[in-house]
Amino acid sequence: MRVGSAQNMSFGDAAGMLAQSCGADIDANCRGVSLDANRLRECLSRNTDALSSQCRSDYLRAFDSIQKRIAARVTVANACTREIVKICNGSTKETSKSVPCLTTAHGVSRNCLQAIDDAGYR
Amino acid sequence: MMRSFKQSLRDVAAMLIALAAFAAPVAVSRGQTPPSRDDIVNQLSRFETAPELDVAALRQNVLDKSRSRSRNEPEPSKRPPLVPELLKLPTFTVNIDFDNDTPVVRPSSYQTVGRIADALVNASLLPYSFLIVGHTDSNGRREANVQLSQRRADAIRDSLVNTFKISSKRLQSLGLGEEQFVDQAHPTSPANLQIQIVTIAKLPEQSEQPTQPASASKSTKKSAKKR
Repeated sequence: MRVGSAQNMSFGDAAGMLAQSCGADIDANCRGVSLDANRLRECLSRNTDALSSQCRSDYLRAFDSIQKRIAARVTVANACTREIVKICNGSTKETSKSVPCLTTAHGVSRNCLQAIDDAGYR
Repeated sequence: MMRSFKQSLRDVAAMLIALAAFAAPVAVSRGQTPPSRDDIVNQLSRFETAPELDVAALRQNVLDKSRSRSRNEPEPSKRPPLVPELLKLPTFTVNIDFDNDTPVVRPSSYQTVGRIADALVNASLLPYSFLIVGHTDSNGRREANVQLSQRRADAIRDSLVNTFKISSKRLQSLGLGEEQFVDQAHPTSPANLQIQIVTIAKLPEQSEQPTQPASASKSTKKSAKKR
C-alpha cells in the first residue's frame, strides 16, 4: 500500500492503513470495539505487547494523520483570514461556509491553498 | 377478463417501481474495493430540492410499520416504499461490513468510512446535510431488523462525527430495516445490507446573525435585521 507523508494522508488512506496494518490485531484483541479513534487507540495501546510489529509501528501514525487533517481546519481560518473576509465576504468564525468560495476564488495565497489541501477541502 | 385487468394493473405497478428505481440516482459499490472520494462527491452533490423530512417521525413510522400484524400484509417484494421521498434524492449506496448482528464496523470497511468522511469535508459537499440510512434483508424479525439497521446507521454517523469530526448538524440517521429495501425485487439479497448516504438539505447560505447578547438594545436589533 502506498502511504503518503502523514501530513497529507486522506482520512480514507489513514483508515485504510489502520485496517491493513492492524485488522488482524483488532479482530484478535479489540473485537466489538467500534470505529472510534479514541476507543480503538485505547484498546490497541492496552494490548501493545500482543500486537504485530506492523500494527505497533503504524497505528499511532494512522490516528495522528487523522488528527492532523482535522486540526488543519483551524489553520485554514488563520492562513486564509484575508481571503475569507475580503474575497469571500465571510467570517473566520464560520470558515467552512467560505470554503466553497475559497477553493474557486482567484487571488488566494499559496499559504491559504496549502492549508485548504491539508484540511482535505479540495 | 377480470383476471387480465388485474394482471395489467400489476404490470403497471411493476413498471412504476422500475421507473422509480431508474429515476433515483443510485450508485452501487460492491465488494471490498472502497469507493473513491470523487465518486461519492459527484453522486451526492446533484441536489435540487429539499423535501420536508421529519426524521424523528419517520423513525416512529418505521417502527410502527414493522410491528403491524395486518392480515393483508403484502409479501416483502410488494411492500410499497415507506419513505418514497428518499428515492428522488441523491443517494450513494455502499457496502459496509459489520460484525454479525452488531453495529460494529469490520476493519475491512474502515477505508470506506474514511472515504465517506473525505467526501463530506470536500468543498462541493460542505453546504449540504445528509441522512445515513441503514437497511436489512428480509431474514429475521421485522422489528429487530429495524433496530439493527438503526444502530448501524447510528454507528456510521458516530464514526463520522467522533472520529472524523464531521459536524453533527450535517448528519442524521435512519434505520429502515426491511421496511424499504435497497433491492426491492430481491428481499433476501445481501444488497439489502448496504448503507445509503442521502443528501437531504442545503444549509443556510450565511447563518443568522449570532444572537445578540441579552443587553443589546432594540435599536441595534433593527440594524442587525437590515443585513
